[in-house]
Amino acid sequence: MKKQLTRILTVTLISAIAWSCNQSDPAPKGTYVQGVFVINEGNFSQNNGNISFLTREKNIADSDIFSIVNGSSLKGGMQGYAVAGDHGIILVDNSNPGSDKVEIVDANLFTSTGSIGAPDIENPREVVAIGSTKAYVTNWGILNSDYSYPAGYIAVIDLATKKVVKKITTDKGPENLVLHNNKIFVGNYDYSEGKNLTVINTTSDEVINSIPFTEEPNPIGVDANGKLWVQAGLDLIRINPDTYEKETTIKISTDMSKSASNFAMSPDLRTIYFVLGDFTRGETYKFQITDTAVNLATPFAKRMFSGLAVDPRQGLIYAGVTPSYTQSGYAIRYRADGTLVDSVKVGIAPTGFYFR
Amino acid sequence: MLNRQVFRRLFLPALTLLAVAENCVAQKDSIFLSPVTVFGFVPERFMSGLKVQKIDSVTIEQFRFRNIADLLSLNTPVIFKNYGPGQLSTVAFRGTASNHTAVLWNGLNINLPTLGQTDFSTIPVAGFDQLSVQYGSSASIVGTDAVGGSILLSSSKPEAGLQVMIGRQQESFRNSQTQATIKFGTRLNSTWNFSGKTAAYDGNMNNRYRHPERNGEAISPSTTFQKGLVQDLFFSNNKHELSAHVWLTDNKLTNNPENLAGRQMTRIKSYRTMLRYEIEGWTVRTSWIRDIIDYAIGDYSTLDHAVTDRYGIRGERTFEWKVGKSGSTIQMQTGSEFTHYKTQVENYERPVITENRGDFFILTRWQTTSRLLISANLRQALVTGYNPPFTPSLGAEYRLIQNLPYSIKLKGSVGRSYRVPTLNERYWKDLGNPNIKPENGFNKEAGAEAGYVLNKIHSFTANLTAYHNRIDNWTYWNPTNNFRVENLQMVIARGAEMQFGWKGNWEYWKFGGMLNYALTSTSQEKTFDAYASDIVGKQLPHIPLHTGNVTMFMQYKNFRLTNQLQIISKRYTTADHSQSVPAYMLENLIIETNFNRPHFRASLQGRVNNVSNTFYQTINGNPMPGRSFAVSLLLSAKTIR
Repeated sequence: MKKQLTRILTVTLISAIAWSCNQSDPAPKGTYVQGVFVINEGNFSQNNGNISFLTREKNIADSDIFSIVNGSSLKGGMQGYAVAGDHGIILVDNSNPGSDKVEIVDANLFTSTGSIGAPDIENPREVVAIGSTKAYVTNWGILNSDYSYPAGYIAVIDLATKKVVKKITTDKGPENLVLHNNKIFVGNYDYSEGKNLTVINTTSDEVINSIPFTEEPNPIGVDANGKLWVQAGLDLIRINPDTYEKETTIKISTDMSKSASNFAMSPDLRTIYFVLGDFTRGETYKFQITDTAVNLATPFAKRMFSGLAVDPRQGLIYAGVTPSYTQSGYAIRYRADGTLVDSVKVGIAPTGFYFR
Repeated sequence: MLNRQVFRRLFLPALTLLAVAENCVAQKDSIFLSPVTVFGFVPERFMSGLKVQKIDSVTIEQFRFRNIADLLSLNTPVIFKNYGPGQLSTVAFRGTASNHTAVLWNGLNINLPTLGQTDFSTIPVAGFDQLSVQYGSSASIVGTDAVGGSILLSSSKPEAGLQVMIGRQQESFRNSQTQATIKFGTRLNSTWNFSGKTAAYDGNMNNRYRHPERNGEAISPSTTFQKGLVQDLFFSNNKHELSAHVWLTDNKLTNNPENLAGRQMTRIKSYRTMLRYEIEGWTVRTSWIRDIIDYAIGDYSTLDHAVTDRYGIRGERTFEWKVGKSGSTIQMQTGSEFTHYKTQVENYERPVITENRGDFFILTRWQTTSRLLISANLRQALVTGYNPPFTPSLGAEYRLIQNLPYSIKLKGSVGRSYRVPTLNERYWKDLGNPNIKPENGFNKEAGAEAGYVLNKIHSFTANLTAYHNRIDNWTYWNPTNNFRVENLQMVIARGAEMQFGWKGNWEYWKFGGMLNYALTSTSQEKTFDAYASDIVGKQLPHIPLHTGNVTMFMQYKNFRLTNQLQIISKRYTTADHSQSVPAYMLENLIIETNFNRPHFRASLQGRVNNVSNTFYQTINGNPMPGRSFAVSLLLSAKTIR
């Protein structure tokens, strides 16, 4: 604790000095102005997820920064983190129904500024922010007793008032969100049976389209050519985000025992990284948007990861490793050519990264 | 001359007991005594060298309306991993896992075969008459699961006459328990006696907390309804004894009861039945146990339903020989046991799965001299598909000093142990592993027991034990292999236990104290993947290195005040020690009084739990409730002729 405090103080001091030298404009101040936030899901039944933080030049992360700053933990599994203006939005999934929440923090200091709980938030999954006061959070709602998925919803949060201003009903098991030109594309969880990609207009916050797929769709991102990529089962599908036309479909693999997950797009929006495997073993691959097939012969890395993301600033690939749910995981950093940079110990089950 | 004095002092109490017994026999038509049944119910007899702690009847009476987990955590170093009041409570005995403690009811293992463990929250103290705790491996004597220790529950034969008891406890949070017991004993004719007990209990934990938050965190809401029925019947004469035992339990736990979509119900019903027949050294026992587990979330119309039946038969023969004229005796018990398992669990690879298990054993107890007692036990278990290891053990006790006022007894034991994989481990669809091997352990321990009677008022006892228990092929639901269960780990548990007791008996005043301390160092030692180095050699999660409890009482005539303390050191909540929960101390206060008449007795108890309102957490990080109160009244009437 003392060590961590010293570390934080040092980092704060250094960044403060650095900022005071470089910047003449009034710049945001705080320990967490710039760096990498690691979303550690935790062991679900223990409600012990947290967020680790590391500055890019270091290979040691501060674990559970929320507890360090606020003196108490977030009490749940961590599902997502995003920043809108000075607001940090943390998705907390507690194993007790009715105890899930969105915790709102000062993005630079990580001090808690408020939270939104049930019934507005139930099984929160992913978050995207628009501008400095608006965030969209996908929610599964409470699962049916046979573990099937009801229609989910997006909670639209006004960060100024810290209130859910609207709930937009989606397909079952809403998960990943991709924001593009005043539209949000909402995909669904793999086993949810929600097979429509929901399109929402962010001005009216109304559903404007619902695109059917044969498997649960998962939107990856919009590439350098302005095309939306969606994964559905073992298919990669390129879509025109304006006309919703499916332009091309690429089979990732024909081996039905495998599944593809953890898609991430490079900063130049030309490469897609993903993990392909069964539950016990698999590899990580990369795919160029101009490729006509996935090159399965040469994996990017000969192992699977529980999370994958590319830092838009440095272009390093961050890969999460979960050895078990009762011990710390690691964030492994790779260069774009697949060479290893280093490995950083983080929290339990690192599944996501947020770069600032 | 000295020897004769020692002899008299040692045997005087025994003689007094005998005299009392003779008196009883003398009053022929009112009270009967049958030959003491030792063998079938009492595996302790062959546990020489092992530490066995018999919980005294005063303590059992004091915990009458509580749960066995409360009793054990305040009187032994056994650790419980608890999920909240009235919720799942699993055991960690001497640094082992929750499936490493055998729970025996009248000698029969009652651990749930699907999980290989017992939820101790489903066992109220009202369900049994006697309780012993045996420390360390005793698999050669009691069979599978007895790796870290065993908990021995048993029924006792009621005395002659009729006794009726009714009692109720009312607690904070709108919790209560009601119980009623009838015991009887009668002479059927000139040779046969008939006695029995019927007991019923009904507990309601509504857990309506007045302050549903502690330190700003919500206490996870839950309700538990618990019912049970105990029936024991004994027919006996001086050669035969036939007894029947039934214990039905029904425990319904609901998490988040108010949240209709998210509520979660776990109902465990167990029907346990047993028939024993004993004649001149032969004992035959048949048993049938059915365990039903129902689970549902939100909508209770379709339940996740699991039923497991166990049909068992056991036969054994006891021999006794005198060796020469030295007084040396050898007792030997040999027998076998056969159990047929039938399980229907939705998520198993087949809808109905059967399995047979057999055991052969030879247990011996050799009193070589008045000072030295040796036990050697052998067991071979057989299970459909594979065989657990041959399991021998050897134990000895030596009375180093037996001159009053001092006595010192030295003990030592070595033994193998094993755990037959649970039905979940073998048959769970996709995750189970039909080729899973039984875990096997090797336990060594040594200890000493000392007593010192200072004078007529003060007496002291002390007990010290050190152990080393290595358990190999420890199973692990491997997350990097899609949570399939594998024999990946090896755990070494070592530690020491100390116990000190003092009693001071004046004419009207009585004082006493009992202190337990345990040092438990237990860690996984095998490197099975690249990241195991972060956990190898580290104390297992949720098991504190230091635990202790202190019970002190003072009694003046019929008033007794008891103070109970429990101390738990820091516990790591993850295997790599990256997260932990702090140490805590709990304190309870009990005040009791009773009113006695020859035919009638009333006992009143008032209790304050968690006197200091300590903040502590369940195993999944939820806060436990603060200070609470309980009052209980027990009325009892009996015949005297």
